[in-house]
Amino acid sequence: MADEVKVADKTETVESLRKIDDNLRLPSVPEKRVFPKEIDVSAARMQTPAVGQRATRPDGRMHGLGQTKYIDDMFFPGMIHAKIKRAGIAHAKIKSIDVSEAEKMPGVMATLIGSEIPVNSFGPSLQDQPLLADDVVRHAGDGVAAVAAVTEQQALDALEKIKIVYEELPNVFDPVEAMKDDAYKIHNNESNIYASKTIMKGDVEKGFADSDFIFERTFTTQMVEHVPMEPHASIGEWDANGRVTLHSSLGRITLGRADISRTLEMPINRIRIIATVVGGNFGGKNEITTEPIVALLSKKTGRPVKCVFTREDEFISSTTRHPFVMEYKTGMSKEGKIMARKVRLICDGGAYCSWSETTLGKACILSAGPYNIENLHVDAYAVYTTKTMTGAMRGFGAPQVCFAYESHMDDMAAELGIEPLEIRLKNAFNEGSASPTGQVLEAVVVKDSLEMATERFGWKEWRK
Amino acid sequence: MIRRGKGVGCMWYPIGFTVLANPSAATVKVNEDGTATLLTGTVETGQGSLTVLAQIAAEELGVSTDDIHVVSADTDTTPMDTGAIASRTTYVTGNAIKLAAANAKQILFEVAAPLLEVQPNQLEAVDRKIQVQYFPQRCLPIADVALQAQFVMGRPPIGSASYNPPTVGMDPETGQGKPFSTYVYATQCAEVEVDDETGEVDVIYMSAAHDCGTAINPMLVEGQIEGGISMGIGFALQEEMLFDDKGLQLNPNLTNYIMPTSLDMPEIDVDIVENFDPTGPFGAKGVGEPTAVPTAAAICNAIFDAVGVRITSLPATAEKVLRAIKEKNDNDQKILPAAE
Repeated sequence: MADEVKVADKTETVESLRKIDDNLRLPSVPEKRVFPKEIDVSAARMQTPAVGQRATRPDGRMHGLGQTKYIDDMFFPGMIHAKIKRAGIAHAKIKSIDVSEAEKMPGVMATLIGSEIPVNSFGPSLQDQPLLADDVVRHAGDGVAAVAAVTEQQALDALEKIKIVYEELPNVFDPVEAMKDDAYKIHNNESNIYASKTIMKGDVEKGFADSDFIFERTFTTQMVEHVPMEPHASIGEWDANGRVTLHSSLGRITLGRADISRTLEMPINRIRIIATVVGGNFGGKNEITTEPIVALLSKKTGRPVKCVFTREDEFISSTTRHPFVMEYKTGMSKEGKIMARKVRLICDGGAYCSWSETTLGKACILSAGPYNIENLHVDAYAVYTTKTMTGAMRGFGAPQVCFAYESHMDDMAAELGIEPLEIRLKNAFNEGSASPTGQVLEAVVVKDSLEMATERFGWKEWRK
Repeated sequence: MIRRGKGVGCMWYPIGFTVLANPSAATVKVNEDGTATLLTGTVETGQGSLTVLAQIAAEELGVSTDDIHVVSADTDTTPMDTGAIASRTTYVTGNAIKLAAANAKQILFEVAAPLLEVQPNQLEAVDRKIQVQYFPQRCLPIADVALQAQFVMGRPPIGSASYNPPTVGMDPETGQGKPFSTYVYATQCAEVEVDDETGEVDVIYMSAAHDCGTAINPMLVEGQIEGGISMGIGFALQEEMLFDDKGLQLNPNLTNYIMPTSLDMPEIDVDIVENFDPTGPFGAKGVGEPTAVPTAAAICNAIFDAVGVRITSLPATAEKVLRAIKEKNDNDQKILPAAE
């Protein structure tokens, strides 16, 4: 029985497995793909009124049949491929960059370093981020040089030949340490704190004095990646009239175009961005990344240039979700009403600002939760560290503070012996409640959502 | 031993940018057969926004979703848009599209009015017809009116418009102001099983009730909520980028960066909370980001209910939960009076 092997549920002899099965062979000529001539359109797409219909998506059919063209599916005549060299060192001064050996490598058509970019900085609120670092590297994923070659592999091989001399600078990884006066200043500013926000409402000290119980707890969250199925990708083509066309995975093309105009010092009407169906954004594709680089490499070579991030590029060089340190102090009446709350948020901004200021602002406003709190004081800080930069990600700080205020709520409920649902209903916004910023809220359905979700869950009947 | 627990997480979330202008513009072109083309600068990022925007244009013109073809995301051809960010597409871009479609519709009304022997303000666009309000028997097919407008009257029915959510700047000292035009609310509940010998957490079931104003397309709202929950589960239990002492990432790959797969997904029940926002297009607000907000809170509260430990740092990995359970057991033992 030694010559019998078990394959799934069938017992077959080695001999039978060695036989060529024509049915398993891939055809040498691809099969003709015939699409149905008459397309079935779902009834919901055909009905009026249109609002409220469960209309299917026209792009669904394209996805299902593999017809959607993502950036990596696009090819143009003469197109070449770009790759970006990553620093691999978290914080260092760049003493020199030598690309001469890389340029001699087979297939290499051009290289690009930061000093060749007309305006080598960008960012939605502070323009503190270089497209390719040219004097200082502030996190290990910083790009330091780009190579365009006939194949991706040739570009990768050439990256190995780029010689960079670094002078190491002190690392600052912990945002709380980075806030201290004696911390190394990552951007040569007076402080590593580059944004701060405050919300003050009522009299928080009086609120604490009037409280029966005071609860304090510090919460922290981690850095996570967006992990879109499609990584960042772009194709740049500089034409003979000096007009550049960019196919890009950007999620906001109008402002992307303004950033490209600024970095390339070109009028906006000479730039065209065409976005495809983006394969996942979640906030990560809201800024330019490789677009000016492929544009300049195309200008140098006269060829369309494509750059697609590897999964590793995606992790080490694109934006991520901010780790937060959240200190909560809440005063409660013995009936379970929130009397006062003080919050301090420290947001680990990583090497560059990106969307941190916006994230901080939203987190600051939302940190009190959907609850009526008359006495509130929130202080929030965004801090530079020499880690991967953090930016926009689904929720802009809200998932972090929600984890904190809702965990804190259950802690207090348990101490006071009040049911978690009841304590929330007792404090939740009503129609016309004033938000932490004093805004009068309309169409407020917090309590409806609490009742609906717990009803569906079977909250009251649920037993361990 | 497997221990079960339940937890709830509740949230609020704003639509659009904080104070800053974040406008959208749109153009709607009604073709001579009554179908229409919508030009928008926003980008489809997989959430189905272009379908929702087509529905908004269709509703305003009184045609079906399939009658609208959407052209998007080309800076040479489509009008400016702040983009797919801040859960703003349905609300802000949707409002711009509704206004643009209304402008195109006004041309159709002006062309149809003399033919129907009424004033333009007596007309409405319903079910591919331009008809007299409260006297629908008197009507013309929208195709006939569009053809008349374009080729007889020489007035192609094209409308453009823009929208920017109204806000009031925040005081720098106190933060008081009206930073957003509108907010949405949501609650998620989680049922978990925690193995108190390994610390492993399994999310068994989640219910989610989200407010998005009018659900322009309930199916796409449900899809967003289910997707948001999967992202929330990763944030709660698994995902974490790790660094070595030199600041280099330890797990920049999908082998060692653990995120939820279909096998990690719980059973999910989704409810849409009935609401209508008078400032949104047909009462709609948004749903994109909020779906991922309360998940981690609900799961961590369920862990607390199951095993009595409070996870204060995410993610609640098995190692972290087990360590917390051991600490709690040690503390509980210390509290017991020493045996005589």
